Amino acid sequence: MAQFGELEAAIMDAVWAAGQPLRVREILEHLDRDPEPAYNTVHTVTEILHRKGWLSKKKDGRAYRYGATTSREEYVAGLMGEALAVAEDRTATLARFVQQMQPGEAEELHRLLGQAVAREAREAPK
Amino acid sequence: MIVAAVLFAYAALLSTLAPRLLRGAHWAERAPRLGIVVWQALGASALTAAVLAGLALTVPTVRVSADLAELLQACVMALTEQYASPGGAAAGAAGAVLALAVLGRTLWCAGQAIVRIRRERREHREVLDMVGRPDTARGVVVLDHDEPAAYCLPGRHRRTVITTGALRALDDDQLEAVLAHERAHQAERHDAVLAWAQVLANAFPRIPLFRIAEAEIARLVEMRADDVAAARSGRLTTAAALLAVAGGRAPAVALSASGSTAARRVRRLIEPHRPLSRTRIVAGSLTAAVALAVPLLVVGGPAAAATQLNYCPDGTPAAQVTTMR
Repeated sequence: MAQFGELEAAIMDAVWAAGQPLRVREILEHLDRDPEPAYNTVHTVTEILHRKGWLSKKKDGRAYRYGATTSREEYVAGLMGEALAVAEDRTATLARFVQQMQPGEAEELHRLLGQAVAREAREAPK
Repeated sequence: MIVAAVLFAYAALLSTLAPRLLRGAHWAERAPRLGIVVWQALGASALTAAVLAGLALTVPTVRVSADLAELLQACVMALTEQYASPGGAAAGAAGAVLALAVLGRTLWCAGQAIVRIRRERREHREVLDMVGRPDTARGVVVLDHDEPAAYCLPGRHRRTVITTGALRALDDDQLEAVLAHERAHQAERHDAVLAWAQVLANAFPRIPLFRIAEAEIARLVEMRADDVAAARSGRLTTAAALLAVAGGRAPAVALSASGSTAARRVRRLIEPHRPLSRTRIVAGSLTAAVALAVPLLVVGGPAAAATQLNYCPDGTPAAQVTTMR
């Protein structure tokens, strides 16, 4: 299924952007991809996303409408929660650039950094 | 018996005294890569010594002989002799339990950690690939999020992730420093270094050496990656990048009163850079090598001596001594 990865992301983009459940035909119209994928491919991948729990599926007349089960922001918030988790046993799973700092610390360091930059600028021309 | 006692004393000393002497040492911050190696060597040495101490109790040392039949016979005789006495049998059993427990516990925890880390990374990557926007020019995945953050997902399918908040907070030079920092983590496999330190700390939570080594290694890998980024982008630029990402959000929990690692890292980059002299780096590396070699030498020493003494005619006092451990 690896080859569907990008198409999966594109379909989710289309559904999130629409902000409402879409039919497969509408998803296909919203997809901005070149070459345009076949209807059957989009249908298959949409079904895969439904099985994986990314999309809900509701009957609408003769067709089905697929809607996002969770908003993009909530997924991002979940990822950030994992990335910024203070829990120590997470450190080997992700390597974050830097952990949090106390506001007081940040202020003092900004001041020290400003001084150091000014010093360097003074010394540089010599 | 003496070999086992020496090894055991060595492991105990290393596990309790070494971390007290080394913790927060200033030289480690000046040469973080050496610091990481020293902590790893101490951990590996203590572990090896404990396992070998157990084995030394279980298996009696015999005189090494060129004649295989003779060697086997000597082995059997030594084993029979040890296990014939209740004391000898008890010591042997205790040794076997010790060696197997240490080895088994380590492997079990390592296996669990590998499975857990793989699963967590896969789950994270699946969501990330769906909601992140790949920025192929920079080789990163961008997440729409106001809080500044940057991290990497290590492993075979690695990703470097940066939020739009961080992109707003960083200028081009600072962003380059962030990416150089994350690349250093990947290139030097810091995730594996951390995972191993964590396995030892979780497997033996009562041993101060492993607990402190984990915390120190976690701090030192960040400083090492900072140094790589600073060599490329400049120390003050790297410090500014750290501040821009760390200072832009409120801490989730109260941090320790002694100050956060993040603050220490920034301070270290602002202060004049004083890398450790080459002589001291060589001395430190040698110390690490000696620590690793000691348990092997303690076990190997008597065996090597026995090989030498094998050429003495039977019945000499020296030959008799070697059969008594």
